[in-house]
Amino acid sequence: MSRFLIHGGRPLKGRVRASGRKNAAVALLPAALLAEGPVRLENVPDIADVHTYVDILEAVGVDVRRPEPGVVEVDASSLAGRPAPYELVKKMRASYYLLGALLARTGRAEVALPGGCDIGTRPIDQHIKAFQALGADVTIEHGVVRAEAARLRGARIYLDIVSVGATINAMLAASRAEGTTIIENAAKEPHVVDVAILLNAMGGRVVGAGTDVIKVTGVPRLGAAEHTVIPDEIEAATYLMAAAGTRGDVVVEGVVTKHLEPVIAKLHEAGAQVEYDADWIRVRADGRLRAVSVKTLPYPGFPTDAQQPMTALLSTAEGTSTVTETIHEARFRHVDELKRMGTRIRVEGRTAVIEGVERLSGAPVQATDLRAGAALVVAGLMADGCTEVSGVEYLDRGYERMEEKLRTLGARIERVEAAVTA
Amino acid sequence: MVEEGRFNPDETRVLGRSAADGRSNREILLEVYEALKEKGYDPIRQIAYYLVTGEPVYITAHRNARSLAARLERDEVIEELVAFYLQHHRP
Repeated sequence: MSRFLIHGGRPLKGRVRASGRKNAAVALLPAALLAEGPVRLENVPDIADVHTYVDILEAVGVDVRRPEPGVVEVDASSLAGRPAPYELVKKMRASYYLLGALLARTGRAEVALPGGCDIGTRPIDQHIKAFQALGADVTIEHGVVRAEAARLRGARIYLDIVSVGATINAMLAASRAEGTTIIENAAKEPHVVDVAILLNAMGGRVVGAGTDVIKVTGVPRLGAAEHTVIPDEIEAATYLMAAAGTRGDVVVEGVVTKHLEPVIAKLHEAGAQVEYDADWIRVRADGRLRAVSVKTLPYPGFPTDAQQPMTALLSTAEGTSTVTETIHEARFRHVDELKRMGTRIRVEGRTAVIEGVERLSGAPVQATDLRAGAALVVAGLMADGCTEVSGVEYLDRGYERMEEKLRTLGARIERVEAAVTA
Repeated sequence: MVEEGRFNPDETRVLGRSAADGRSNREILLEVYEALKEKGYDPIRQIAYYLVTGEPVYITAHRNARSLAARLERDEVIEELVAFYLQHHRP
């Protein structure tokens, strides 16, 4: 177990590069199972969730190589189709992509109900609905989802709620089904598009990704491909918020600025100075920000994953801010920890009401999930004195070399491994 | 360090058309096409869906193509494509 020790109150200054997007990488890796040939993925972030997925792929019988930093080569030519081990699957929610990929590739998938951060109920009923529409028999017994189909047939799938996971799983399963599948009310997130692009590079026929109707024409075989993972907009948003919160001046490079439009809009509204081009964003703040209202929404709305660091940022904004969470039901667990640092936040239903204070003070705090951890790091960088963030293993799931990147911006942050007691 | 001195603190803004350097839609499209082809993607499909959705991810970052594509006037290109299509499919 590791902790971050942060000596805050110093403005962050400099340039930092965004890594590959976690939520894309953990969908692209299982998508590579569909190819009967090697798939080379570049700009893969070096994070714990990727390590876990690589372990899962190896466990199901896939050859995985990491020839150089940021590159993962997956060769599922001779897929053994062994079951995915529970102890790995339970670590991450994205393990459910194995269902769509294995079902399409081998006609059978068996995966324990997925784990991941505890941020509320996140059922997989829409995934199951999609598999059943394609002709699969799906059962859940003893915590294991089993999907089986002698042959998958294209179908019209209407998703009752906009779900990134169900959209991607439906695309994966449909990519080798007979005929055409129409996915309606599809999620429009950029990592849905990223998966579609990889499937097409492998010889698939997916059109419409990025809109709410996706058409997948199944092909009998998918093959070798190369693909570059898109930049992580949540990592970028975290550093931009840390810059604004510390009254610093930071450029985040290698981003897709369009993906950060709602974050840019809110930073600007709060009084930060923002300058940007297609692939970089600079944020500067000279004083206290102003209170703003934020509401999370599916893409292209304000991302739920950026909500928690935004709450930390607004804790010192002048006036009363509100942050309303509409995507997940239990995503304010960071608030109690932020209160230890002198914030004045109360949660009313799905809204956090934030009375801005002048200064935060460092304190020992505990990360309860990945983005809660990001919020505490942002707060620690803003606070006077020393903040000790426990639960760094959550941050390692989604942030590549976080403390190193922050140190290049002038932050005083170090990782401390817990002492081993006899 | 970020250099000082060219920043207007009163506004949030989009900077620089420098990546395009005054290039025409045609020149940008050709460069984007080549970059996509070099990376092994189907350039026609990728460009078509970029024009339809405006989603930058359809364009590779290779050879700075994604930034270049952001300079395209998508509506102008789509109008021209429709005009060209109708012209060549008239009975």
